[in-house]
Amino acid sequence: MHFHARAAERVRNPVLQKALQKAKPLFVGKRAKGVASLADDGLDFELLRSTAESIRNRVLADLDVWLDIFETRARVSGAEVLWARDGDEVARLVVDIAQRYGVTKAAKSKSMLSEEAQLNEALAAAGIRPVETDLGEYIVQLAGEAPSHIIAPAVHKTIGEIEALFAEAHGRPEQPRTSADIPAMTQEARAVLRQHFLSAEMGISGANFLIAETGSAALVTNEGNGRMVTTLPRVHVVVTGIEKIVPTLEDFSTLMRLLPRSATGQTISNYVSLLTGTRREGDQDGPEKTVFILVDNGRANLLGSAWQDMLRCIRCGACMNHCPVYFSLGGHAYGWVYPGPMGSVLTPLYTGIENALDLPHASTGCNQCGVVCPVRIPLPKLMHGLRETQVERGLRPWRERFALRAWAWVARRPALYRWLTRGAVRYLRWLVDGSGRIRVFGMAPGWTDGRDLAAGSGKTFHELYAARKRA
Amino acid sequence: MRIALYVTCLIDLMRPGVGFAALRLLEATGADVVVPPAQTCCGQPAWSAGDRQTARLLAEKAIAELADYDHVVVPSGSCTDQLRNIYPQLFADDGHWGPRATALAARTFELTEYLARFAPELPLPDAEGGHVTYHDSCKGLRGLGIKQQPRALLARVKGLQLTEMADCEECCGFGGAFSVNFGDVSTRIVDRKCESIATVGADAVVGGDLGCLLNIEGRLRRRGDERTRVLHIAEVLAGGGES
Repeated sequence: MHFHARAAERVRNPVLQKALQKAKPLFVGKRAKGVASLADDGLDFELLRSTAESIRNRVLADLDVWLDIFETRARVSGAEVLWARDGDEVARLVVDIAQRYGVTKAAKSKSMLSEEAQLNEALAAAGIRPVETDLGEYIVQLAGEAPSHIIAPAVHKTIGEIEALFAEAHGRPEQPRTSADIPAMTQEARAVLRQHFLSAEMGISGANFLIAETGSAALVTNEGNGRMVTTLPRVHVVVTGIEKIVPTLEDFSTLMRLLPRSATGQTISNYVSLLTGTRREGDQDGPEKTVFILVDNGRANLLGSAWQDMLRCIRCGACMNHCPVYFSLGGHAYGWVYPGPMGSVLTPLYTGIENALDLPHASTGCNQCGVVCPVRIPLPKLMHGLRETQVERGLRPWRERFALRAWAWVARRPALYRWLTRGAVRYLRWLVDGSGRIRVFGMAPGWTDGRDLAAGSGKTFHELYAARKRA
Repeated sequence: MRIALYVTCLIDLMRPGVGFAALRLLEATGADVVVPPAQTCCGQPAWSAGDRQTARLLAEKAIAELADYDHVVVPSGSCTDQLRNIYPQLFADDGHWGPRATALAARTFELTEYLARFAPELPLPDAEGGHVTYHDSCKGLRGLGIKQQPRALLARVKGLQLTEMADCEECCGFGGAFSVNFGDVSTRIVDRKCESIATVGADAVVGGDLGCLLNIEGRLRRRGDERTRVLHIAEVLAGGGES
């Protein structure tokens, strides 16, 4: 199914629209408050953005070196470091480890990269049960869906839909629910998940950052599930992208000024974990075995390319939270793992430009994403660059290319242009119905399906201006 | 002082009255205002579609015909953004057109930006009355930083009351070809804009970009709102009203 078809379905889905309508002002309002609160600490958002941008750029300029340092430090503290070229390799490595340690159940903390690798499917196929433990991820897993948002996976679901899923999965009758019941429903999920934390032999998490100087993974969560997943099971596997490196703890703390604020508006998330190596002698908890799987899956190709800026992304979700298109469609319409503006850039770059032709065009160019991005990724510029690449590679429909060139050919010949536009405005005037407007315009049905078209006065400005000058 | 008024193709075709309103305002500043006769379109549709080569051809044409004026004034944020921010990018590596594009960029102003900066004392006619709300268009706001200028101008129109709507900085969903190619998504976005406008209950929604205004007007009418007027700020400031 193509983007157009998915989008058409979703703009007409009242349940989805209700869920999205409710979420948007919350995201926007919380972030605005969070960013404003920087001033309480004497910090300036724009200055911090510039610092964050340069931290990320510094890493990307010498990514191989920082990865080397990370690998060495992580090994010293007892972790194993593996490398995966693509999603299939990730899945193979994780299944191998699971089988080596006799794992029957893996508890997962939220990881978008595991979605890239379709890890849950691979584990299930190998007879290992993956259990998502982030509340939103737990909900979408019950629904048999993929997350629709990178930090709020179930944002597309209403409370009624969630109640139905819980009732079925937890074997109880369905009840009417309101937002006042959210704590009770959360407790219900918590009780179920607690059993999984205690019985899973393997924990799988992502990492928000990898800190080169200490060889640690930094995990930013709000529910505490991340801490359970990374400390209770015998084996902990961290699956994350190679671009997630930051050089030092100091750099990490700078980025942490921006990440929670940009994502949820929090000054800091409820849990910030720095995970280094394995359980040491005398430690109360922690895994016996820690494995980092550092994943390329298309990232290295972006280094040194026109798209390198995209690798700065710290996955806060602010771009989608401020995107008018995202909030008209929800995340599933985007067709792959990442939605919103960052998805419209990453999906074509990671899955093939020719496989996601609509996404870079599915933007009004409003730049609401660009002005909120905490690491100053010029998202509209990157989407525009992808549009240019499509044209250069001859991937646009011939009718669009022909129409543009023909129009431009005329527009460079003012006399002809005047003559043709005089005809065009008269034609528009002729199409007007009793309302004084055009209700059906065959040349641009996309416009008049949802809007009237004002027909103008039947004369062009230049025509009227010329007449005025003659008079 | 010679000013070129760059009318924009959309105003030329869809609402010539906006062009004449802009012309009256500029003439009232006492400047010698010229409408360069060969102007057609700045090329934004080609640029936006990713057709850099075609965009450059039209940019060269505009740069050449606008070269001899002290200022170029455009009653549109998005076309101004094209001339000011995109043209220099298009010719960044071009020794001939690059410097010309940069020079034009420095002399090009959006209408409200121009009036607020160069004609702060310009007498403005009284309003026909009424209560308006202002829609910030994306390219004007985030591309050019236009926010206070239209409000400062509207505040000087006697008898006019401005009430801000919720999310006035939020995109209306126009996006040029986006509005046609992704018509249903665009409609969904402009629906939210219409709801914000309805909540304010103003007599008119005012903006600085005809594309956004046609989009908002088209949706308001389709939703059955025949009352709320949709006006370009030039029309309000020149006292011309709809034409």
